[in-house]
Amino acid sequence: MRQNSQLKQYFFVIKELTGRELKRKYSRSKLGVIWSVLNPLLSMIVISLVFSQMFKRAIENFPVFYLCGNVIWSLFTTGTNTAMTALVDNKQMLIKVKIPMQVFVISRVYTAFVNFIYSLIAFIPILIVFRVRLNWIILFLPVVVLLELLFVTGLSMMLSVGYVFFGDLKHLYGIALTLWMYLSALFYPVNSLPGIMVTVVGNNPVYLFIDGMRWIVLEGSLQPWTSFVKMVIWSVGAYLIGSWIFRKNKNKVMQKI
Amino acid sequence: MKILAVILALMILAEVVTLLVYFIKKKRTRKKRRRQTAINLLKIEYPKGEPEVKPVVIKAEQVCMDFSRAVNEYSSVKELVIRAVKGQSNKGIYRALNDISFEIRKGEVVGIVGTNGAGKSTLLKIVSGALRPTSGKMLVNKQKVQILTLGTGFDMELTGRENVYLNGAIIGYEKSFIDEHYEQIVEFAELEGFMGEKVKNYSSGMVSRLGFAIATAGDAAEILILDEVLSVGDRLFQKKSLQRVKEMIHGGSTVIMVSHSTKTIRDNCSKAIWIEKGHLIAQGEARQVCDLYEKYDGNLEKQMGAQMGEMEIECVE
Repeated sequence: MRQNSQLKQYFFVIKELTGRELKRKYSRSKLGVIWSVLNPLLSMIVISLVFSQMFKRAIENFPVFYLCGNVIWSLFTTGTNTAMTALVDNKQMLIKVKIPMQVFVISRVYTAFVNFIYSLIAFIPILIVFRVRLNWIILFLPVVVLLELLFVTGLSMMLSVGYVFFGDLKHLYGIALTLWMYLSALFYPVNSLPGIMVTVVGNNPVYLFIDGMRWIVLEGSLQPWTSFVKMVIWSVGAYLIGSWIFRKNKNKVMQKI
Repeated sequence: MKILAVILALMILAEVVTLLVYFIKKKRTRKKRRRQTAINLLKIEYPKGEPEVKPVVIKAEQVCMDFSRAVNEYSSVKELVIRAVKGQSNKGIYRALNDISFEIRKGEVVGIVGTNGAGKSTLLKIVSGALRPTSGKMLVNKQKVQILTLGTGFDMELTGRENVYLNGAIIGYEKSFIDEHYEQIVEFAELEGFMGEKVKNYSSGMVSRLGFAIATAGDAAEILILDEVLSVGDRLFQKKSLQRVKEMIHGGSTVIMVSHSTKTIRDNCSKAIWIEKGHLIAQGEARQVCDLYEKYDGNLEKQMGAQMGEMEIECVE
């Protein structure tokens, strides 16, 4: 019973924190949350204009191909980027909070997830326009997204602790993200790469999630089981290591802050 | 030649063994220390035979708190690398609290005095369980502690109403509890008509009033920590918040308050603790400790030498 009420409180805090993030994010814009839908659409149009001719032969349905990559990528990048500063931003609240500090990290990731759900709305008209037919395999999409969330949460916990001690991490991570983006095959086909790069990209967790979504949406089938296994290992591994680091450094974080 | 080689090998072996022993010992002591610093939940023991003596709810046993801090800031990466290569550490240890012990019983109102940087806030953080002491023990039930500091934890971009829910959630209120007490909080903070406004447009007095109202809503807090809170707001609100705190004390809450105003402490506290430069200087009856503190002119040693010896014996229980 007590466990239950604590869990309820946990969700209540996450809900309140997420509500705050969303309100803050759009507090100064007129269109507000519509931007979550517009953003992927607009960037899809831009990238498609630039690259779709280039990869015409290799990729059949470039806009949808890109959009899959874009939504997964932005869930990853906004999740980790905002969660990295979660502890530092909320230092005043850290003293007061009665439940584990992870809520601050988790609520930022959850905010990115809510954003992701909105951006899925952009998908519907695009799927209709480009006549993509979905089948029952789409039911596996939540599995891919869930695994990605696990991965993002794990990585975010590491980053948020690191950021407390090393403020430069933010800039370094920005550069790392640029590299990471090019290695995630957002807008090019992987088989156009030279040999060794295929292995690198093929083991990149974010690419695995993107690829998983592309298989489900574009092909209507599941990705090869080997990449699924890799996906699970990355996610669970990142989560376990992340929460271990987080728990270990909890006291140091409080001292530093 | 052979003998030399054997001796050399033996020396290296001895070196390795000593190193190993050193590391193993170090690891062990670290483990031991960790075990010592664990915060335990305080089991409330009711003393038998004397019904008027209240149980101890907060107990500090030789609490020490060290912070590592940068002694020399490095200005460039080059310098950092050079220092790392040379093995020079740029960390020093700063002892914020040194061997602090005290007991607080249920229903007591305890004031903490001390000049800026004396370690008061650090002590409060340890009491609330946010920080773990480097050594020593702080026995307190963390779930029952409510800490209230000035204007913290508010999101300036949100409205007053949203902040009530956000802050309430953070300090452990359930949604239904906030729903029920919302009107009461607004009324107490005297912010009717302002709750839809963003907090950044509030005056500092309004913010602290709201903070106070949220933290003291209902009778949730069994141990209330007030960090420089009672001295804010206008005279009327001060009176009202004092009244509120008194009600809570009446309801059985234990209160710890930090204030620079000895008048506040003298008027409200039954007991006081004076901390200076991380050391516990005196604890005892509020009036006596405040008298002592008011005489303090920044030179602790002089005062210590002159009159502290006798006073301390008098004050410490």
